[in-house]
Amino acid sequence: MPLFSHYKYVFQLQFLRNAGFLIFMAMIQILISIGIVIGFTYLIPTPNTSTILYLATGAPTIILIFTGLVILPQQVGTSKSDGYMEFMRTWPVNRGVILGADTTIWLCITIPGIVVSTIVAHFTFHPGYDISWTVVPALLMIALTSIGIGYGFSYLLSPTASLTISQIVVFGALMFSPVNFPMERLPEWLQSLHEVLPIYSMAEVTRASLAASTFDASFGNYLNLFIWCVIGFGGAIYILNKK
Amino acid sequence: MILEVAGVTKVFSGKGESKTIANDNLSFRINEGELFGLLGQNGAGKTTLVNQILGLVTPDKGDIHLLGKSVLQSPKWARTICSVQPQSQVPLGFLTPRQAVTLMGKMRAGKAFDSKRVDQLFDSLDMGEWANKEGEKLSGGARRLTAFCMAVIAPGKLVILDEPTNDVDPVRRRLLWNVIRDLTNDGTSVILVTHNVVEAEKVVDRVAIIKQGQFLAVGSPSEIKSSVSNLMRIEVNLASDLVNIQIPSWALSTYQKGSRLLFSMDPSDVLPTIDWAKDQSDNGLVIDYSLSPTTIEDAYIELTSRKAGVV
Repeated sequence: MPLFSHYKYVFQLQFLRNAGFLIFMAMIQILISIGIVIGFTYLIPTPNTSTILYLATGAPTIILIFTGLVILPQQVGTSKSDGYMEFMRTWPVNRGVILGADTTIWLCITIPGIVVSTIVAHFTFHPGYDISWTVVPALLMIALTSIGIGYGFSYLLSPTASLTISQIVVFGALMFSPVNFPMERLPEWLQSLHEVLPIYSMAEVTRASLAASTFDASFGNYLNLFIWCVIGFGGAIYILNKK
Repeated sequence: MILEVAGVTKVFSGKGESKTIANDNLSFRINEGELFGLLGQNGAGKTTLVNQILGLVTPDKGDIHLLGKSVLQSPKWARTICSVQPQSQVPLGFLTPRQAVTLMGKMRAGKAFDSKRVDQLFDSLDMGEWANKEGEKLSGGARRLTAFCMAVIAPGKLVILDEPTNDVDPVRRRLLWNVIRDLTNDGTSVILVTHNVVEAEKVVDRVAIIKQGQFLAVGSPSEIKSSVSNLMRIEVNLASDLVNIQIPSWALSTYQKGSRLLFSMDPSDVLPTIDWAKDQSDNGLVIDYSLSPTTIEDAYIELTSRKAGVV
């Protein structure tokens, strides 16, 4: 049977199975992303436009990190412990099809949060968006990287271990990563760490596509994302096919 | 020949040097339309064997052929030939039974899928009332039946059912066995994995009894029974779990679980056994008792306890 029809049925099955949860998550993400843009301005007494632009262009990155590295690993952990993962492995389809269908679903639930928070930030603060044509491929690449890494470690590790990583990621990404503020504010050792980790590259690429006239992303940032994406998905497919 | 398992051995290594032999040189065959029971206690190695047939686990030794083709070389193909109802509940989430079964049917049969079969299945299992209810809101039995339908909606050549009747009410259990019989009449082979020996005896064509990774016996239920003996057995319901009852000296194999006590005897010892049971009953130690020819459960208990020396 052609891959596409398998993909279609697996997608429908997975989407309908999680429908209620996915709608709920999409709504939570809208709230979180608006919260990042508006809420952080309370933390900073007199924010200037550049600060707000950092927050406004950081929110989509946070959404994508949150989806791929926090919600997704939790879901994978649940399906590991309730036996659903084992059941999926008995399906008469290529395992890559299952991964592809699930990835599509995860991509879809990030869209409302990103769109709504960008519109809200634009009309509330006019932070100086300058959206480039690269926005769709750039965000897609970041989302895929984040989802790929999420799959990689949650398939590899036990549910408890991946839950721990998720908790560290959500806190680390929000407070100790150059997503909502410039890299220079971090201590040097953390800067060097972020040169290797994907979070900084994600933030840079998002900024460069949402405010193209203010920010630039380097070739290194794109390369970093690409490598992490391949490692994540490659690892996930390897583990799915492992016997 | 649908399935041929030849000398399959699987060893799992635990912490340090410890090793568990899950399957020890197992060989058997299943013919077209055959209902084959795989009986064994928890941890006997049933699921490991099934996972190897499906190509989910690779045997350390031996080979498995489905329709003459090696599963080791084409595991994905094995998954298109076999469908499975897993032992654990399938978490349906927001899926209704109709959605779950229809999508699984389409995934397996593609364009050849006939959506009328979903209604036929639901009718024959009397589960129409649940067809459009979200999985999360269904009872355990309804979910189990849905998982069963997912496995048989577009059966390949082999359907593997792991404890399909768990949580299912007695009326629908019978309906379920009818559906399984229809499957085998249509030429689909079925492997029934269970530890519910009594139920299995009534339906299977052949059984294999597995313990600690080894087959203790393979054959038709009557062959297995006669391999043990043609003894009589008594089943006694004790007044309480902890009763330390004096078991007669002529009892041949004894099995006690909670307040249920079973033992077998030579047919010539039937009369003293009835006297013994009546005495116990008069003393208030026994609530009731029943005497019958050996069942496969006795054979099973005899075979599985023999090696462990529990007799």
